[in-house]
Amino acid sequence: MKLINLRERKFLENRLRSLYGVEAGFGDLVLIKCGRGRIRATTKETLELASRLRGIQQIGLYVMKVANGDISLSVEGSQLLGDEIRSNVIKLDEGQVEKWMKAIPIKMEITYRGRYVVGKFNGLYLGSARVSKNGLLYPQIPKWRRIPVARTQNNKHNRSP
Amino acid sequence: MPGEIELSEDLREYLDRLPDLDLDLLIEAYRRPLPTSFRVNTLKMDEREILEMLVERGLSFRKIPWARYGYVVEDESIDLGKTIEHMLGLIYIQAPISMVPVEVLDPKPGEKVLDLCAAPGSKSTQIAQLLGGVGVLVANDISFERVKALASNLQRFGVLNVIVTLMDGRKFPRFARGCFDKVLVDAPCSSLGIVSKNWGIARSWSPEIAKRLSKTQRQLIVAGFDCLKPGGELVYATCTLTVEENEMVIQYLLEKRESAILAEIELSSLRYRRGIVEWDDMRFDEELRKTIRIMPYDNWAEGFYVARILKEGDS
Repeated sequence: MKLINLRERKFLENRLRSLYGVEAGFGDLVLIKCGRGRIRATTKETLELASRLRGIQQIGLYVMKVANGDISLSVEGSQLLGDEIRSNVIKLDEGQVEKWMKAIPIKMEITYRGRYVVGKFNGLYLGSARVSKNGLLYPQIPKWRRIPVARTQNNKHNRSP
Repeated sequence: MPGEIELSEDLREYLDRLPDLDLDLLIEAYRRPLPTSFRVNTLKMDEREILEMLVERGLSFRKIPWARYGYVVEDESIDLGKTIEHMLGLIYIQAPISMVPVEVLDPKPGEKVLDLCAAPGSKSTQIAQLLGGVGVLVANDISFERVKALASNLQRFGVLNVIVTLMDGRKFPRFARGCFDKVLVDAPCSSLGIVSKNWGIARSWSPEIAKRLSKTQRQLIVAGFDCLKPGGELVYATCTLTVEENEMVIQYLLEKRESAILAEIELSSLRYRRGIVEWDDMRFDEELRKTIRIMPYDNWAEGFYVARILKEGDS
């Protein structure tokens, strides 16, 4: 884990502004790099206490992943930014939310700028989905928090022996 | 559950000796499945809005009187663990009596709180909720596998002000002595309060298990106490019924640390009984009456033991 320096923070804020229209960024929260482009956020007070402790596995919340200048927001990262997110937001209905939380690709008619969009349902942000060239959204929901997909009779037959 | 619950000979003999215990009622409670209950996560959304979403989903529930934000499901037809609300961290599924220790600890915004045996994170998320994002929570556990579950649950719950550590809790005072306003020691135990989840616990219980765990629990409670600031507060809890793992652990702390003082516990609408002060040929400190024992049949839920301990001195 490594603290993000001023230059890296400026870069992230610029990218958040251009990709999602976020003006204030993560405010006075501390941002930490934790490998493979992953960024976590926490409070200054938390970081101060962490300097005294041993055996630390993680600090604060995983908020986003940065790869090739693109930013994929985690569910909590997007909820933390909330209505600061002004562009590349798609509103989902209940059926689409269920697909989103199962990480099932969703077909959308509208084209979006950028490679990622943020899902929104009932005022709640649901993290990013990657947009493919053919208009499919691939929700970036980690495996451990997906709603399990019920195995149908059809699926059973389709499985390899 | 098919079949009949089986208590080991040792356990039956032990429970017969415990004062103020109705064995028939206890077995009846063990037979019943635990009620499904949950907390709504006010770190993410307004309580009323979350409840409305659940009602729209067709869920019926009622408030748990002793737990802020706690509700018991009245209709078990919906699998809460597979709902969007659960996956998004708007609710946390937690058994009703398991919410008691943190309610007794009563963390306040701005405090530094240590959860010494935190995995899988029910009580840590509850502490984080009561801190309201202000202050710091340190959630520790000794097991790498369990820490992974703890970290996932804290992420889903949206906790910013948390440090997750992997460490033997008994070693915590080496670098965090006098650091915390509040400490929760929800100690590993022989689990006689949650036999309805796993009947095997009653079949395999032996006095040796309780004695072995008691040794670890004594070391953990002293370590947790040493991490407190003067004026700080510790809650010790187990989900078991044995005197070795409960009153004897508190008695040990009182003997080892002069600055440890027991405090009263008051919770509305929760049925419980007072801590034991006489058992076998032993007599404990009268102050142990301030601790509470919750039998599984008291509220037809889990059994727990909870003690609230203050550290003398100015904060």
